[in-house]
Amino acid sequence: MMALTPPLNDLLHGRTPSRTAGGEMLAWAGWLIVCGCLYGSVMGSFGGVTGERLWQVVYSAVKVPMLLGITFLLTLPSFFVLNTILGLRDDFPQVWQALLRTQSVSAILLATFTPYTIVWYLTSGNYTEAILFNAVMFGAASISAQILLWRAYRPLVARSPRHRILLRGWIAVYAFVGVQMGWVLRPFIGDLNEPTRFFREGAWGNAYVMVGQMIIEVVGDWLW
Amino acid sequence: MISWFREVDRVLRGDATRPEALAGGQIDVRGRRLLVVNMLLGVVTGVCMGVFALFNRDVPEYRQPLAAAIKVPALFFLTLVVTFPSLYVFNALVGSRLMAITLGRLMMAALGITMAVLASFGPIVAFFSVTTSSYPFMLLMNVVVFALAGILGMNFLNRTTNRLISLLQPEVIPAPPSDQSITIGPMGLPQPPVLRTQVRDPNGQVRSVFAVWIMVFGLVGAQMSWVLRPFLGQPDTPFTWFRPRSSNFFEAVLNTFRALFGS
Repeated sequence: MMALTPPLNDLLHGRTPSRTAGGEMLAWAGWLIVCGCLYGSVMGSFGGVTGERLWQVVYSAVKVPMLLGITFLLTLPSFFVLNTILGLRDDFPQVWQALLRTQSVSAILLATFTPYTIVWYLTSGNYTEAILFNAVMFGAASISAQILLWRAYRPLVARSPRHRILLRGWIAVYAFVGVQMGWVLRPFIGDLNEPTRFFREGAWGNAYVMVGQMIIEVVGDWLW
Repeated sequence: MISWFREVDRVLRGDATRPEALAGGQIDVRGRRLLVVNMLLGVVTGVCMGVFALFNRDVPEYRQPLAAAIKVPALFFLTLVVTFPSLYVFNALVGSRLMAITLGRLMMAALGITMAVLASFGPIVAFFSVTTSSYPFMLLMNVVVFALAGILGMNFLNRTTNRLISLLQPEVIPAPPSDQSITIGPMGLPQPPVLRTQVRDPNGQVRSVFAVWIMVFGLVGAQMSWVLRPFLGQPDTPFTWFRPRSSNFFEAVLNTFRALFGS
């Protein structure tokens, strides 16, 4: 565990990490998994940690790193090809490393939020409130991690302004895939009235279609 | 085989179409290798699309990914077959010096860009195919990905033809000498009459032929995709290799928009 800390310290203090790229990236992937598991297990402890509910803790511990990691992997190939077409292939090692670091930093930030989540769960047993609270935590973690991403991108953007356009595109695609990934991997918290499962029964479907249908229903109610 | 993919990589990086590489009006790519790799990338794209039929039916339909894997490469090559002859003839008519082989390589390179973008979005498309049960959503998502890939490929084609055309010397037609007076050069020798040349620049016309062709390619491609459908397979209808002729691509996209939210 101690071997993992140097790159993190360097990064948080804005220093360039001194290790080789391969080893450093492995360390970041390790941070992503460890911290994701930590936050996930706390997130899944909403219904308690005894009996069947323990499974929710385990499932959520697996799901949070999956959410961050798989979304990252799914969006990487197209980003690689688009970077290449726009003539930025030589910068791609820096690009993907910056993206992976951002994923890990999101997970690390989430892990530092775990005490808040525990306090929240201890004070409120309302399921909807728990969902909203966690949404705020995820939002805060990913927005803060973006600060780091843009910082890593500053020298790249100085070299070619195309990097800025591409990064905006990547964030849009990442969010698009990430929302669906989060939707599919539900439940993270576990409704107290439902049995504990890895995937919610019959819950696969499309987040965007659902939201669109809801909006149309609401607007329809207003109009008619 | 890896060296074959390197051929596409050279096109993607733009190495094959740098001004220095284009000198002499030739494109330095191996057309046949690109053709094979483009087909393979098309197969990957098709499988990612056809996965939809494995997860959203009571009984998984394994023939659909197979059908889509054949249809995606077919879509592009049939569109090319339909539009290429007229491109070549018009291109020659307006006095371009691009040869058929150069045009063919150019097309393979542009398709290489399109297919690489399509295949690279494959993982995202496959993920949504597995998790989404909404047919209209998947249809529109695929239209968006294809449109993006098409625009990037066409953009490449446009840029490269512009470069190629400006590299080829404008056609020079000798004009008859206007006066027959003989000029006396140094050392008292008569100099040959200076031929005043008149430059006819076909480049503008060649560019417009390409611009029109790009639009025609897009329209024919869209309609070809309509002829070859289904790529995804509607979940509540049994598998078919093709559907009967009806309607057209653009009307169908509009209708799908309406159906997306079930209103």
